[in-house]
Amino acid sequence: MELFIGIINYLVFFGITAGTYAVLSLGLNLQWGYTGLFNIGVAGFYAIGAYTAALISGPPPDVWDGRLVGGFELPFLIGLLAAAAVSGFAAFLIGLPTLRLRADYLAIATIGIAETIRLILKNESWLTNGVWGLQQIPSPLYEPIYYGAKGFVDTHPELYPWVQQLILKAYNWFYLLLVVVVLVALYYFLKRLTRAPWGRVLKAIREDEDVAAMSGKNVFAYKLQALVLGAMIMGIGGALYAHYARFISPNTFKPLYATFIVWVMLILGGTGNNKGAILGAFVIWGTWAGTDFLTNYLPFTASQVAALRIIMIGIVLEAIILLRPQGLLPEIRRSRRLSRGEKKTGEAESPPP
Amino acid sequence: MPLLTAKNVVSGYGDMEVLHGVDLDVDEGEIVTIIGPNGAGKSTLMKTIFGLLKPMDGEVVFDEQDITGMPPDRIVRLGLAYVPQVENVFPTLTVHENLEMGAFILGGDLRERFERIYALFPALATRKKTRVGKMSGGERQMVAMGRALMLDPRLLMLDEPSAALAPNLTATIFDRISAINEEGVGILIVEQNAKESLKLSDRGCVMAAGLKCFEDSGPQLLANENIGRLYLGG
Amino acid sequence: MDILARIPQLLVYGIVSGSILSLGGIGVSLTYSILGFSNFAHGDTMALGAYFALAFLSLLAGAGIPGQPFGSLSFGLDFVLSLVLAMIATSAVVVLLDRLLFRRLRLRKANRITLMISTIGIALVLRNVIQFFWGPQPHYYSAKIQLAIPIRQLGIRVKPDQVFIVSIAVILVTLLHCFLRYTKMGKAMRAASDNSTLAQVTGINTERVILWTWVIGASLAAAAGALTGIENKFITPDLGWQMLLSIFSAVILGGLGNPYGAIVGGMIVGISEEVSTAFISTGYKPAVAFVILIVMLLIRPTGLLGRRN
Repeated sequence: MELFIGIINYLVFFGITAGTYAVLSLGLNLQWGYTGLFNIGVAGFYAIGAYTAALISGPPPDVWDGRLVGGFELPFLIGLLAAAAVSGFAAFLIGLPTLRLRADYLAIATIGIAETIRLILKNESWLTNGVWGLQQIPSPLYEPIYYGAKGFVDTHPELYPWVQQLILKAYNWFYLLLVVVVLVALYYFLKRLTRAPWGRVLKAIREDEDVAAMSGKNVFAYKLQALVLGAMIMGIGGALYAHYARFISPNTFKPLYATFIVWVMLILGGTGNNKGAILGAFVIWGTWAGTDFLTNYLPFTASQVAALRIIMIGIVLEAIILLRPQGLLPEIRRSRRLSRGEKKTGEAESPPP
Repeated sequence: MPLLTAKNVVSGYGDMEVLHGVDLDVDEGEIVTIIGPNGAGKSTLMKTIFGLLKPMDGEVVFDEQDITGMPPDRIVRLGLAYVPQVENVFPTLTVHENLEMGAFILGGDLRERFERIYALFPALATRKKTRVGKMSGGERQMVAMGRALMLDPRLLMLDEPSAALAPNLTATIFDRISAINEEGVGILIVEQNAKESLKLSDRGCVMAAGLKCFEDSGPQLLANENIGRLYLGG
Repeated sequence: MDILARIPQLLVYGIVSGSILSLGGIGVSLTYSILGFSNFAHGDTMALGAYFALAFLSLLAGAGIPGQPFGSLSFGLDFVLSLVLAMIATSAVVVLLDRLLFRRLRLRKANRITLMISTIGIALVLRNVIQFFWGPQPHYYSAKIQLAIPIRQLGIRVKPDQVFIVSIAVILVTLLHCFLRYTKMGKAMRAASDNSTLAQVTGINTERVILWTWVIGASLAAAAGALTGIENKFITPDLGWQMLLSIFSAVILGGLGNPYGAIVGGMIVGISEEVSTAFISTGYKPAVAFVILIVMLLIRPTGLLGRRN
């Protein structure tokens, strides 16, 4: 029974983390999958979202802090919206000069931007507390739920111990529900958006910018919108992370865990497909978390096992690119070209990831 | 037996079919010109013959060997050479280096070959060490042709050799083309400037909308009034 | 006044750093111009070279190769041999990666972005393979502290090792230049860099050109990595990724696709990074390369020595 409870609790925790990554993946899918923006700076928007939420909802600087400002202790939802807004605004500022660049230039620019954001987070202690990070970020509705659950358990001693254990973990269940709600809301929001004409212009831009431009669309404006909206979604992911982990620092947002892993998730799941983005997040995070226990069983040191796990992720990426570039759930294409009277509607495989 | 045969070639770019089944023969030592409007598929045909495009159907035979879809670097060893319309030289390399690249697959002493090419294009002989990117259009075209001739091809394919050249240079180029042919090299030319080209051609073909629609001897085609009106710009 | 007085010394550091960035950048430019894509795994290739050099160093010590330092340098024949072996070993790894991965994508005519994404995966794998075998902690090239020799007239202090680094860079670059200018394969590489389709049409064996491109790029990267080890005294698995931004900045500044541009760009970025520390906090030193990059991309993306492709 103990083991069972342990597994259930772990799965809840897993669901929260994978769900957060799924949110990031959806954001990247909008930027890359739909619009073809080669953004290798996911970590930057993720971090901005997390820090904004933490600074808005977190406690004010105290004596041991290096901070001078921030910590308004505002409600969670405000923090969430602020995270989206600030991330979006950052994307706006970044997009203005960079979106006209070619793909590889954009890639390098976004790598640089993400690194610069990390440097700012590290150096500007007056705002971010530098490398020591932000602590005690409050989780929404924590007190009512935790104490409510505890109270319930205390007043019902007749319940089986394992039931009591489950109820005590009620907060995690709540947070999982929160993440799922946000994820589902975002999914349907994006579904509406991408089915609409707006979404189809994005795809047209990805396919062939020049053709899209010729049909009179302001390509740059659309790209900027996609970048900003995608960044807002990533900011929400950051907020979700911050409120659960309750501690963030610049190291949390290192490229490996905050950018590359999201890319692998999206490419595995299926570029251009929102369900794929979510699926990819769960599969990759599952693989990642699933190999965590190996640390105890393999005759290697901890850092060696960590390296092996990352190598595995890298190989997964290469394998997908070689063997199934469209991912697990290929993009659904509504082919509008009536070439030789053939395809009217149908599913086709998407171009390379 | 023709040196080059293209039979029912269907080709294009991606999903778009440009050639809908083209037949073409070139005999040893002949000069054949293909004329036709823009978009007829003339360049596409050359690229398909030379393996830069994979045909969707049909076959190409050179010197009794099936070269359909063969990669260009293998075709060039069989004695077929190609000069594209644009970007047909290496701009940062010198004249001599461009020619050297033409003979890349050969080893040994190439001096004789170089001499022959410089004899054919005396204007280049004095500018061996000039970077080709700095040269005029006409000179570049000569370098491009010289490069293709380094391997002693039996058939040389030229895609619009006089495009973007001033009229006096055009005369020079066609004069050189004649000279090359006199050494026994067959030439297949795609041209918009059809008049000059047909004057020295043995045969001419007219292509339109992805098909070959007419063929005759060079002089006959020139004299043909209908063709003259439609394709030779009056 | 005090700031200005520091600049000559910072220039010295900049020249050393710039030489290393140049060696790293040449490979990126060559790969871009001949293979047609940006290789984000190049930094980690440098790291691989650095670690190979270290490994060979201890192997050679075990084999009894003399380790006496040359004159006042920190190392001797053993390092030079290790460097050559590291260049060979790194090239072998890179060529293997081409056979296994890039070539297959190439034959499939995969698009450029796919190739770039795959290099990101390779970067990840290389870095962690290094970490698997050597661990995340720093590894030292030399425990000795070398004294800098003051050059009073110029107001600077120069370590013999620094002179060595710059000399090696100059030698390698000169060798490369001669190769590109005078050998048939070198000319073929320049030709393929101008126009790879035409190179094929001409009959140039483009697969062999590509092989040489990888070998030269990887060898120079390995040298850059090993020289970094000498300059910083130690190496970590992250070494490559940390330098990637500076390298790409240098390459784009000089002109993506032009190896000579990489040299010019490398020196400018290296010097700028070091001199900047006189004016801004060292915490932001990596951002200098980034600023140069963004400025170049906005005003002249083709770079100083401009290059099409």
